[in-house]
Amino acid sequence: MDSLIKNPDRQANGGEDTIGDENTILIKRTLRSGQRLHYDGNVVVMGDVNPGAEIVASGNVIIMGQLRGVVHAGASGNEKAIVMSFRLAPTQLRIANHITRPPDGDSPETGHPEIASIKNGVVTIEPFHASADRQHR
Amino acid sequence: MSEVIVVTSGKGGVGKTTTTANLGTGLAAAGHKVVLVDADIGLRNLDVVMGLENRIVYDITNVTDGQIPYKKALIKDKRYDGLYLLPAAQTKDKTAVSPEQMRELCDELRQEFEYVIIDCPAGIEQGFKNAIAGADRAVVVTTPEVSAVRDADRIIGLLEANELREPKLIVNRLRYNMVKAGDMMSIDDIIDILAIELLGVVPEDEMVVITTNRGETVVQDDKSRSGQAYRNIVRRIKGEQVPLMDLQEGGFLTRLRKFMGLK
Repeated sequence: MDSLIKNPDRQANGGEDTIGDENTILIKRTLRSGQRLHYDGNVVVMGDVNPGAEIVASGNVIIMGQLRGVVHAGASGNEKAIVMSFRLAPTQLRIANHITRPPDGDSPETGHPEIASIKNGVVTIEPFHASADRQHR
Repeated sequence: MSEVIVVTSGKGGVGKTTTTANLGTGLAAAGHKVVLVDADIGLRNLDVVMGLENRIVYDITNVTDGQIPYKKALIKDKRYDGLYLLPAAQTKDKTAVSPEQMRELCDELRQEFEYVIIDCPAGIEQGFKNAIAGADRAVVVTTPEVSAVRDADRIIGLLEANELREPKLIVNRLRYNMVKAGDMMSIDDIIDILAIELLGVVPEDEMVVITTNRGETVVQDDKSRSGQAYRNIVRRIKGEQVPLMDLQEGGFLTRLRKFMGLK
């Protein structure tokens, strides 16, 4: 994974309806502590992202599992990038040049997928509803 | 059919050496031919825990350097005929052995023994790489603490990267009352993060300290809860299906109460 080299020339277009020619990588396992993925494009993880693991992507990041590590979406400055996970409980969440962390203390389990995006200049986390999400685009 | 099992954890002090000693003794007590290999070169402990320190003449580096055949360095256990220890060197460091030498040594040992159990040093550097080089299976030991679980997660990632798939988990030093009160990570919390198969749970037990200080192993103690836990783990390693024991009943709880009362 360390061999994946970021190419700054490519512009991510994560916010669009269609992905176009943006690269997407599919990771079919859990990322564990100490494992780091740096990718120019979108990242889809079929598994968890554990505490101590880190994903940096120029595009969107979708985790088909629990997010407990650090994710940076839109790393090359794309404010339209999103982070989505079945359970969003990151150590730290970064989108473009915005950095957030969850409030101290236990966050309740919501039981449904959540999506993080930048709205009015702040990172906002909302429940993910396929239909509603399509409407606001 | 023989197996080389490495006992590892990442974090120090979670009970790798104690687990190695107990698994080895338990397997030998069940009639198997077992050798324990201490891969913690420079900080050897397994010989002390086994009560065999004063019998060491040669160590693992003498064998890997080709100075002596491995049989010359093996120390026979005091209690069980089928149990041997290959001690680590105390005066050298981890670079004294290479992964290739460890692989060769494990292949030699597996000709003679049914189980080769390797006690891995803490950390993820050379010593860890040496210890896992020749192993077929890995047992990851953790305690119910966030730091230990985090390190276990890192170790599992590294084991998988080194083709040691499906490591098994032992949760050591669990205090049932604290889990019940929500003050300690539960087994479910740990499995939720690590997502590997549970080999067993060993409750916190002062008998472990008592037996270790005597150079004995708690697995030989019929009365203690931790001894029972280790005996169950031994049976699971042999492939038997043994249900997890109920941690809340019996002497363990009473002892814990006493402990709390004293505080």
